Amino acid sequence: MNNRIDPTLKTDLKKFGLQAWNDCFHCGNCTALCPLTEDANLFPRNAIRTMQMGLKNKLMSTVDPWLCYYCGECSDTCPRDANPGEVMMTLRRYLTSLYDWTGLSKKFYTSKIWELGAILLLGGMVVLAFVLFWPTISPELTADGGVRINSILPMQWIEWADWTMAIIVAMLLMSNILRMYIKIVHGEGAIKIPFHLYFKEAWQLMFHFSTQWKFSKCDGKRYWLWHWLLMSGYTIMFILIVVFLPWFQTEEIYKPWHPQRLLGYYATFGLLFGLTAVIIGRIRKNNAKFKFSHVSDWLFIFMLLLTVISGILIHFFRIYGMPMATYFMYVAHLAVLVPMIMIEVPFSKWSHLAYRPFAIYFANLRIAAMKYHEKTEISLATS
Amino acid sequence: MGEIKPTGVFLSYDGEALNGIDPHVLDEYVRKIPGIRKVWIAGEELEPVPQKILKEINDHKLKRIVLAGHEPGMCKSAFSLAMAEAGLDTDDVTLASFSEFGVSCLLEAKAVLYCSIFGIPFPEARKNGSARVLPETLVIGGGIAGIQAALEIADSGNKVYLVERSGTIGGHMAMFDKTFPTLDCAACILTPKMVDVGQHPNIELITLAEATEVKGSAGNFEVNIHKKARYVDETACIGCGVCSEKCPQTAYSEFDAGTTLRKAIYIPFPQAVPNKYLIDAANCKYIQEEKCGVCQKVCPAECIDFTEQDSDIKVKVGNIIVATGFKTFDAGRIKEFGYGAYPNVLTSLEFERLVNAAGPTGGNIRFRTQDKKGHWVFRPKGQEPKSLALIHCIGSRDRNYNEYCSRVCCMYSLKLAHLVKEKLPDAEVYEYYIDMRAFGKGYEEFYNRIKNEGVHTVRGRTAKISQVNGQLKLRTEDILNSRLIEQEVDMVVLAVGLEPGNDASALAEMLNIKREDTGWFLETETSCDHCGTLNNGIHLAGVCQGPKDIPDSVAQGSAAAAKVLQNILKGKVDTGVNGLHDIELRAKELSTIREDER
Repeated sequence: MNNRIDPTLKTDLKKFGLQAWNDCFHCGNCTALCPLTEDANLFPRNAIRTMQMGLKNKLMSTVDPWLCYYCGECSDTCPRDANPGEVMMTLRRYLTSLYDWTGLSKKFYTSKIWELGAILLLGGMVVLAFVLFWPTISPELTADGGVRINSILPMQWIEWADWTMAIIVAMLLMSNILRMYIKIVHGEGAIKIPFHLYFKEAWQLMFHFSTQWKFSKCDGKRYWLWHWLLMSGYTIMFILIVVFLPWFQTEEIYKPWHPQRLLGYYATFGLLFGLTAVIIGRIRKNNAKFKFSHVSDWLFIFMLLLTVISGILIHFFRIYGMPMATYFMYVAHLAVLVPMIMIEVPFSKWSHLAYRPFAIYFANLRIAAMKYHEKTEISLATS
Repeated sequence: MGEIKPTGVFLSYDGEALNGIDPHVLDEYVRKIPGIRKVWIAGEELEPVPQKILKEINDHKLKRIVLAGHEPGMCKSAFSLAMAEAGLDTDDVTLASFSEFGVSCLLEAKAVLYCSIFGIPFPEARKNGSARVLPETLVIGGGIAGIQAALEIADSGNKVYLVERSGTIGGHMAMFDKTFPTLDCAACILTPKMVDVGQHPNIELITLAEATEVKGSAGNFEVNIHKKARYVDETACIGCGVCSEKCPQTAYSEFDAGTTLRKAIYIPFPQAVPNKYLIDAANCKYIQEEKCGVCQKVCPAECIDFTEQDSDIKVKVGNIIVATGFKTFDAGRIKEFGYGAYPNVLTSLEFERLVNAAGPTGGNIRFRTQDKKGHWVFRPKGQEPKSLALIHCIGSRDRNYNEYCSRVCCMYSLKLAHLVKEKLPDAEVYEYYIDMRAFGKGYEEFYNRIKNEGVHTVRGRTAKISQVNGQLKLRTEDILNSRLIEQEVDMVVLAVGLEPGNDASALAEMLNIKREDTGWFLETETSCDHCGTLNNGIHLAGVCQGPKDIPDSVAQGSAAAAKVLQNILKGKVDTGVNGLHDIELRAKELSTIREDER
């Protein structure tokens, strides 16, 4: 067990947005109040202790920050104003950067120049690609008066680009999750996990990804619902544009109740609703979870909002037959969407979409393994 | 008059304008004084290096240098060296130290600096003359600190007026059953002192009264005492209690911390001093509606007078001791604990009354129940709890409420745990604490003793209390054992902290004394002068200066009495302090006198 103290941990964490690190006097109020904590994973106090002591290795192998959904009750009642909820948020940023082997995540989180530069670079590359392969814009409309979107922007190209992007992002994310797995399951205080448990507990992954059930145990169902609308809208839209692009991006204008339009509308509504709620919250700061906004928080909201708005505009420009506007908006849409996905998903805030359910999965694996070992020990002892 | 040698002023400054003391403002102020040739601000205009200073001395033809700042002595050696090099007297490097005189604002900093420039000790210029001291003393507050101070002064042969707001002296200590760590009976220590106060020829006890106006200055105060109508003739009442027996009106008893009912005509508790009945006008049917009047009819001493009016008493005193004590933290402010919603979540003060042999249940620990009229009270009959939890630090050490430690809660909680074990040996008792602060003589031993009695002490602040089917449930992190505890108990005692009384700010304004941010009265010096205030005739005793336990309150009561007696014996007292303008005039005047003497 490597319990080496890392004296630079504090200064490192400050770059990730840590405010107070030594205020906590360990009364345990936060842990006792938390609706999600359990004996096997006591948080947030334990993580704060690890952080205060500078035990970087232990911190790297902790799953706790991902189990917190930041209801903020601990921060509101903390006798020391130590803001446990915000510490957990900071640790999530920090862990994201540790899981990432490229080192880009740390750069993006700790330097505004790097993050904005990367976004502008990728966005610029998208625009450049369109300028170089500039298609001839046809003013002709389809029979139902829509823009002939696919004849000018060959859909195969977009699809190819989509798949390429999805594969890159998936590779990066999967490799990071592998590192996360190694650190959490085989890191500090590792226990042997029987192979069959990996399958037995696998349902947790899908269940928690799709329902975010743990969040609903936090402060009331309202925030859970907002978050769920946002998440489901995003996921549906992502699947539609990456996997089902030929079905989704058609020249033919379907009736409003066609599944293509219904799904699109649902996803748009979910995204808009969730985003509006989050933006209002972060401006009014009326809840602990909204009080402190890191650059990465605002950037992520802003880019997603731009993507959604440009997407909505494309839709209407296309239906109402405005070719020039449609094409320009399409380019703008991609110029925001591509950097958002390429940067946010593997390296920044969006990665929690994957880390959260995996963290729950890993945590439950450990619990199940512990129970399994206890049982076998008892049966050995009795026989 | 007041001409000074060519002087340079060095303003040392560590980058931050402490308490608004900005060196640039001081610079402007100092430049206007005739004789000042040069002002340097540290780090901006002059580095304290002998060569550079020497050059400056020669350039500006300086004869003296004043070093000013919070701790200006730091760079004195460099200046002394430079002065010696220049062939001047090293004694002409003088210090104007802000920290030495406890400077806390710009005006005071200016005054200290001014005095140094004129070579006059600051305390001397600040003094505003002295006055003759009247031998009488006013003690505000009749708790243990006030009682102790009053007795010490009265025993020395000087007159004391003791003003108490409620109907009896004794304060909070009278409500306690035992004292820690010796487990002495609180009443056995306190009541003899109370009786002493009541019978002392040198003490004039004025109960149901408040000081409402203070005029004059140290040595000669004129105080107006507003005395509320008692409606019972104190000299005639024989304390038989017939009136109370017949009285039909009830209200929650203040002395029992609201855990039981008393009558509208009542005596706070049997050992009250003065041991005379009084009428609570707000609850008396005769005073409110002119119906009833049964007490007047049955009183054998014919001492009840409904026409009595509030009166004002004017007294002249030389010294005032403030011993107004505290109020306990309102546990209802913390929603998570459900105080007020769950009947068997009590404050420690309520529990003190519950375990007290003279309390509502005769010292038996019973559940709080509802009587026929719907009042939640403790009654001698009923069931006893099988498990209890005490939660520490309620409203204390909490930045959402009071950040300070209330100092007494750990120890009184341990004491209460012991009393539970004594009365209900089979009951399980849990103490949930953040840090156990057993700091006094015999306290740590007491803590160990209580642990050995089988009380479970758990490190962890309980976060939430909920009530499910009448069962209280506590959620706590057991920090030392790394686990969550969901403890079911029958009764919870919240160890509420201490807070300044509601009228502390009005009192401070009336007496012209300062308060800290926390609300406690400010003493002149935290470690060396606990009792003094900026007004030399006003002294502090007891918890009103800051949370403390009984031994410390008594000690401070005696200390305040010593200060008062010192003033009385000297016969003279400094009446107060000058403002900046007066200090300037006085410093100039003193320096002229010195010049003449030379």
